[in-house]
Amino acid sequence: MPNEIDKGRRDLDKVLRNPVKRPDSSVSLTRRTFLQRSLVTGTALGAGAASLGLLPLVNTIDVAQAAGESFRFAWVSDTHLYGPGVNERFVDKTVKAFKEIQGMSPSADFMIFGGDLAQKGRQDELQLGSDLLKEVKIKKLFIPGEHDWYLDMGAEWEKRFGGSPWSMDHKGVRIIGLNTIGHAPDYWTAKKMSPEERMGHMEALDGTVAGAWAGLGRPQLKWLSDNLAGWPKDKPIIVFSHNPLYNYYAPWNFWVRDWQEVQEILGPYSNVTNVHGHTHQVLYNEIGTMRSIGMLATSWPWPYAPGVPNLTTPMVRVDPGDHFDGVGWGSLTGGDRVENEYMMWRKDIFATAQADSGAGDEGNQVLNERIADKQWPY
Amino acid sequence: MKIKLSNRIGLLSGSFLIVAGVAVGLVASFSDTAQAHKVKHSPATLNAFDQVFMEQVRLGDLLFHGDPATQKKMGVTLSKTGMACAMCHPRAADTHPYEYPKFQEQINKFSTLRDITNWCIEKPNQGEKISVDSDAMKALEAYMYWSTRGSKLDPGRH
Ligand SMILES: [Fe+2]
Ligand SMILES: [Fe+2]
Repeated sequence: MPNEIDKGRRDLDKVLRNPVKRPDSSVSLTRRTFLQRSLVTGTALGAGAASLGLLPLVNTIDVAQAAGESFRFAWVSDTHLYGPGVNERFVDKTVKAFKEIQGMSPSADFMIFGGDLAQKGRQDELQLGSDLLKEVKIKKLFIPGEHDWYLDMGAEWEKRFGGSPWSMDHKGVRIIGLNTIGHAPDYWTAKKMSPEERMGHMEALDGTVAGAWAGLGRPQLKWLSDNLAGWPKDKPIIVFSHNPLYNYYAPWNFWVRDWQEVQEILGPYSNVTNVHGHTHQVLYNEIGTMRSIGMLATSWPWPYAPGVPNLTTPMVRVDPGDHFDGVGWGSLTGGDRVENEYMMWRKDIFATAQADSGAGDEGNQVLNERIADKQWPY
Repeated sequence: MKIKLSNRIGLLSGSFLIVAGVAVGLVASFSDTAQAHKVKHSPATLNAFDQVFMEQVRLGDLLFHGDPATQKKMGVTLSKTGMACAMCHPRAADTHPYEYPKFQEQINKFSTLRDITNWCIEKPNQGEKISVDSDAMKALEAYMYWSTRGSKLDPGRH
């Protein structure tokens, strides 16, 4: 496994070191961190965080067009809801995010839900998610996460939220929603797994059984290529995906396995922004002409994996005693220029000193693959 | 003693679970007779020692990933939120066992890995804290150390 990771890194490095291909600098992304005091007082559920002196920070991305019209939209993902009564903290944080999005002024053009609404893909979890989503009355777009999918192979998800991939043109921007989670190699049939067992292996981020499940797959790569065929090379594209469209850390599927093919398709376009979930942490990277922004979860933050992109300013070390810490949502402005604002419910988001950095311990840390899920009866 | 040992080694084949069970018996028979290091270690003996350790890693891995059957068997409730240790610590990332003992900010005192493990069980996981000497705690410790093997020992680091 370490050799595979090294190989992936070398491949990524080759792309990153290509001096010709960089995102168009005239439309460079700026991340803004600003506190919205009004949201604290305006949100009943914010009381706990507010009393600790923590202020909300929203994941916002501004796409500001130099020539065209700019617009604002919001991102929420990774709510990981359990069935009713199991984890009220996750429900509270989801409701808080949805209320804040509905309360945005001026209001967002749409909200994109980036996957992992449910934890185990169960009907009662997706039902709870649907109920909470009613709080948001602006236009809603959806892409699925692996936790929504592998109990019934996306049946319930697609019935509620529609299929993917999809695309739409909004104020001069081609917006694309991908399904990077529904194309896992079949790890269940030969082992005669029940739907619950199949989902169980998918549920563990560091599981070894589901393997390299994140990817677009051949048909979707073709769809993407066809979709963009008539789109001018210098016009903005925003691609939503659950997983990052580059190779950050394959063992946790912080990648799509066919990221090199994706880059070949997107490479000719000079203004591409990928916005992704799944990693539950502040992330920023540039691959060729594509810039990539990793968004916060509302549920819990994942630790930084080995090999945090150099362009990322890591988020702060999180207080595990405060379930409102290290999580949140996002507000983005779209157009020629995509700006992202992380709405994290605390004062400081980005770490400057090692002692405050969520990636600060990475230098000493070596991680190894788990074993128990490889042995009978697992 | 020697005959007994070779008999047991002869059984060291087949599934991991059977091997582990035999290995426990082997080590017990050694300690009974205070024979440690009196006889040269054969590869099979060393393998048996390793199996004892890896069985604890396996149990710890299952507990760490919230396996209900293992928790029930060991009589522990590590979480009541649905969350498992591995959900914030995949591959035991950010547990950094190699930094303990140290001053632990959350507990506001000098703490061991076992202390912070219990803090995590009680606070974020809202589970029932376990005895620091319990089998479950030793298994969790085995898993965290094993999973981060190769990391730099740096006790006291914040
Ligand atoms: Fe997630
Ligand atoms: Fe995910």
